[in-house]
Amino acid sequence: MASVTASSVSISSLSCSLKQNQVFNLKKVSFSVSRKSFPSLRLQPAHRRFHVACAAKPETVEKVCEIVRKQLALPADSAVTGESTFLSLGADSLDTVEIVMGLEEEFGISVEEESAQSITTVQEAADMIDKLVEKKA
Amino acid sequence: MRGSYLRMKLHCLDRKFFHSSPSLAPIQLPSPMETHLWYVIPSEVKSKALLNQFLDILSPCEKENVFQMRGEEPRKRALLARALVRTTIARYQINSQVSPRSLRFRKNIHGKPELEWQFSDHWLSPPLHFNISHTSSLVACGVTVNSQIGIDVEEKNRTIKHNILSFARRYFSKDEVQFLADILDPEIQRQEFVKLWTLKEAYVKALGKGFSGAPFKTFTIRYNGGGGVNPLENLNCEAQEIVVDTSDEPIELTNNWQFELLELAGSHYAAICMENNFSSEGKRTVPVKLTVWKTIPFLEEECVSGTDAVKTISGSK
Repeated sequence: MASVTASSVSISSLSCSLKQNQVFNLKKVSFSVSRKSFPSLRLQPAHRRFHVACAAKPETVEKVCEIVRKQLALPADSAVTGESTFLSLGADSLDTVEIVMGLEEEFGISVEEESAQSITTVQEAADMIDKLVEKKA
Repeated sequence: MRGSYLRMKLHCLDRKFFHSSPSLAPIQLPSPMETHLWYVIPSEVKSKALLNQFLDILSPCEKENVFQMRGEEPRKRALLARALVRTTIARYQINSQVSPRSLRFRKNIHGKPELEWQFSDHWLSPPLHFNISHTSSLVACGVTVNSQIGIDVEEKNRTIKHNILSFARRYFSKDEVQFLADILDPEIQRQEFVKLWTLKEAYVKALGKGFSGAPFKTFTIRYNGGGGVNPLENLNCEAQEIVVDTSDEPIELTNNWQFELLELAGSHYAAICMENNFSSEGKRTVPVKLTVWKTIPFLEEECVSGTDAVKTISGSK
């Protein structure tokens, strides 16, 4: 049951992110297709990135975008999507640390330095959040 | 007169653009335990022709990164940062083999950018280390020889969205939180926070292991000096030493790192952290010579050491 649920979540998030930035996600799509387990989509922790890439709910991504916009004082209509890197949006290291802190507060999670360092995009942050929230539950 | 001199130089550059890249004056390498600091003020760089010359010396990857930035100003800053690094480093090793464009960079295993040396039989240069930092209004590059270096610059009036003590409790060490909590004036507390942030960043960048290699909570940076128990008594005293203590490493090892904290261009705090390979028995620090230039690559430079543009706040003596 869990794997079926997981597969429907991941498919919808893949198609959701395809709309945003086709070039970037092409890599993700082809990677998942090449995996033998794709049809049943049992999310193995084997490749952490793959698992993480399929986990984020659209609402989480949206919430992260909101927090990032607020931290970087970006106008509400500025283009912030899953693929946006904090750096390209104008965040320096202090901003990034504040963003992580903002995410911790919003979602009630705790992010270790190692994980924080590997987050460079909105999508990566959302993926990590969903994973941590899931672990907490 | 200065205005017209600049205009004349720009005019020459505009013509030269179509013929060859502009020449760079060579500069002598820093000696061991000497730091060179170069900075650019982006708002002073207006010439499109000059910006194109900068673009011209970047690698394809660097160009891509520049264009990924959103907005003209962030793009300009990213461009200036790479141009500053390439032109500056090229000046230290002028010979027929080196040009700003020919320099190769790579990242160490933790992701810290470093120079990739191309040794030839005839040319052996001492290892040159560099580190960049920038804010929305200043781009800086520190250079040393034989010594790891980390720099961080922040605008003096930088504010954070979170409450300072909440932020410090989350990310800084207990002693640092105490140091900030003891400051009653919110403005001074904010300033000290920003200075502490730059020092911590500079240290982590000097170590080159990334944020997770030296989590901010695991080390304390403090001012040591003047004998006062309360460091605030000696805050603006140049005799103050800045030291780092880690909970993990024995005290001897952390003596390897020396700090300088400056007020730069009247608008920024700049922290420089470098490795100290020369301390003798009993003496924690060796004097560090710092030379600072304000520059626009290819165009002009001005040594600003000893002027109002460079004010030492604390450091090694």
